[in-house]
Amino acid sequence: MRRIGTVAWREFRHTALTKAFIIGAVVLPLVMLAVIPLVPLLVGGATLPLTGRVAVLDPQGAVAEAFAISILSKETLVPTDREDPLAGAVEVQVQVDRVTDASRETELRTQVADGSLTALVVVSRDDTGDKTEVLVPSASSPRHTRRLEAAAHDAVVRARVKGAGEDYDRLNGLLHGERVETWRISPTGEAARESTALRMLVPAGFMFLLWIAVFTSANYLLTSTIEEKSNRVMEVLLSAVSPMELLCGKLVGQAAVSTVMLAMYGGVALSGLGAVAMLDVVPPSHIVWLVVWFPIAYFMVAAIMASIGSAVSDLREAQSLVGPAMLALMVPLMLWLPIVENPNGALAVAFSFIPPASPFVNVLRLTAANEPVPLLQSILAVLVGIASVAALLWAGARIFRVGVLMQGKTPTPRELLRWIWMR
Amino acid sequence: MLATPAITLHDVHKRYGATHAVRGVSLQVEQGGVCGFLGPNGAGKSTTIRMIMSIILPDEGRIEVLGATALDAKDRIGYLPEERGLYRKMRVAEFLRFMAQLKGLDRNTADQRIGSWLERLELPGVSRKRCMELSKGMQQKVQLIASLVNEPALLILDEPFSGLDPVNARVLAREIRGLRERGTTILFSTHQMRTAEDLCDRVVLIHRGEKVLDESLASIHRRFDPRAVLAEPMSDPVQAGRAIAAMPGVATCAWSDEARALHIRLTETADAQDAMQRMLQATALRRVELRRTTLDEVFVRLVGGDESVLAAQEAAGD
Repeated sequence: MRRIGTVAWREFRHTALTKAFIIGAVVLPLVMLAVIPLVPLLVGGATLPLTGRVAVLDPQGAVAEAFAISILSKETLVPTDREDPLAGAVEVQVQVDRVTDASRETELRTQVADGSLTALVVVSRDDTGDKTEVLVPSASSPRHTRRLEAAAHDAVVRARVKGAGEDYDRLNGLLHGERVETWRISPTGEAARESTALRMLVPAGFMFLLWIAVFTSANYLLTSTIEEKSNRVMEVLLSAVSPMELLCGKLVGQAAVSTVMLAMYGGVALSGLGAVAMLDVVPPSHIVWLVVWFPIAYFMVAAIMASIGSAVSDLREAQSLVGPAMLALMVPLMLWLPIVENPNGALAVAFSFIPPASPFVNVLRLTAANEPVPLLQSILAVLVGIASVAALLWAGARIFRVGVLMQGKTPTPRELLRWIWMR
Repeated sequence: MLATPAITLHDVHKRYGATHAVRGVSLQVEQGGVCGFLGPNGAGKSTTIRMIMSIILPDEGRIEVLGATALDAKDRIGYLPEERGLYRKMRVAEFLRFMAQLKGLDRNTADQRIGSWLERLELPGVSRKRCMELSKGMQQKVQLIASLVNEPALLILDEPFSGLDPVNARVLAREIRGLRERGTTILFSTHQMRTAEDLCDRVVLIHRGEKVLDESLASIHRRFDPRAVLAEPMSDPVQAGRAIAAMPGVATCAWSDEARALHIRLTETADAQDAMQRMLQATALRRVELRRTTLDEVFVRLVGGDESVLAAQEAAGD
């Protein structure tokens, strides 16, 4: 135990107590936490108003007349100003020039190109019907362009409504007079505004948190093992500890690194949700499941990475072996949406039992709000996960024991399997 | 009661695929003294040492180190492997402290011993330096300290002199002698016969995975009867050479520029004392001496004629 502890402390110290790690895993999350409340202020202040002249070339004149109203109006049939949650609404201070002479189109286009016109709206009619084009200078901001497109769309609708003899404001009132709101009621009876988008993001957030914490330290484990081999320090270490003690020490040390990552980024995420009064989207059970699956995920991935690190001589060689392992681990990232949409579907249930994707898939399922996962199924998945960890650690230790002293050509996956059974 | 042997190997085998690297080696190294573990490149020395250290396991046979397995005795063993390395970014004192703590030393004792060894090995002011900032020779000394910091009862050195300049080689030889005087058992592998002859009390020679010699140096000198005589003539060396070459029991006789004397090789059956008497009677000689058998000659006699060995020796610069 003493030797394992000494190796673990060195591993932790030389990974976590370095400038790079402290900046990446401690300072950066704290800065993010401090900056999040300031983002709307910073972005909002930077939004410029839409100014200048907009020419509307409309031989009939009806759309041009409507555009002058649409560009300034907020109460429209077609939403002209979808408020940006970070930056707020675009302020409009434009002058609208109505042009009926179609022969001036080339001249007006030139003015758009040189920036003297903010935009040109061209309304034309051909055999297929009305056609409206919005021409903007190449430097036009996306938010300004979106606002101009929406205003042109609304102007066409206004002109048609008027042409049909209907009252635009009355229609607008009928369509937009009421708002539908969804409220989520907690088991204790508290109500909170529902945000389906956020509810889809919560499982993804949990999975990515687990992924980042596990992969960062597993990657450190891979590189530190390769470094010990390439620096030829491995045999010096093995004169003082057994291969098993060395592997255990490295796994424990990097587990501590992973825990620091999880705690820091998880803490920042929870604090961020708390700051916007949305902590209720993360019930305590989510945290409990994350804590249950975190060590299973870490030891599965770490066992794979340590055995690969021990088998190769440099990082380039490692890529050929890491590739197939990464493919298996990418499964939950690729299947995130279908699993969250249907956490009890056949796909989600099947991958809950297949290592090394199972920890990530289970976290996705358990934090998806759609429907509860049967408890027995979750317990069975945990037991299968623990058994998989035991098997991967055993195989990883066997490969590690042989691999750490091997130099020369990169072993094939088949040779790695042979090492497991080597005496 | 006899003391527990430092190392016991009983019929040890190790195979790598089709290669039978170690073939039934049995060996007993008693406590105290310096044992040279000799052999040409690829003879199985490092494999045997790694098995003694429990870094790899034998396929067959039994190994005991200080009365236990090497795993149980690791804190009492010092080991300098052939493939030496350091954590490049670690500071010297930090690396040595880490190794000392792995060997069971507390921080204070470790720091005390590290300071003392750095002084003894003429490495002042390097404790705060990163390992990668040291010269190769300095790095080798740091690695040696890492193997000595726990004051081991058994010290195993695998090719400790390779890559060392003459000054550092002398420092290392001095330390090995000092450790022997303090009662440490030392096993070191080398293919440099002169070094082994200077330091060893006993020699084990391994060739193609098999033990071919296991004797004290004195016994080797006795057993491998010298066959070479140097004779410095007082008069014309050509005439003296002709006279000696014609004598019974003389196989060859030729002038050696290096020795400034006639180099005479006796036949296997000739009595050296008798031959030397007859040479003195046959011609006027300033000196006549029986050359001592060197380990080099023993080595060549035991593994000589093996082209691959000679090529390997040549490649290794011996």
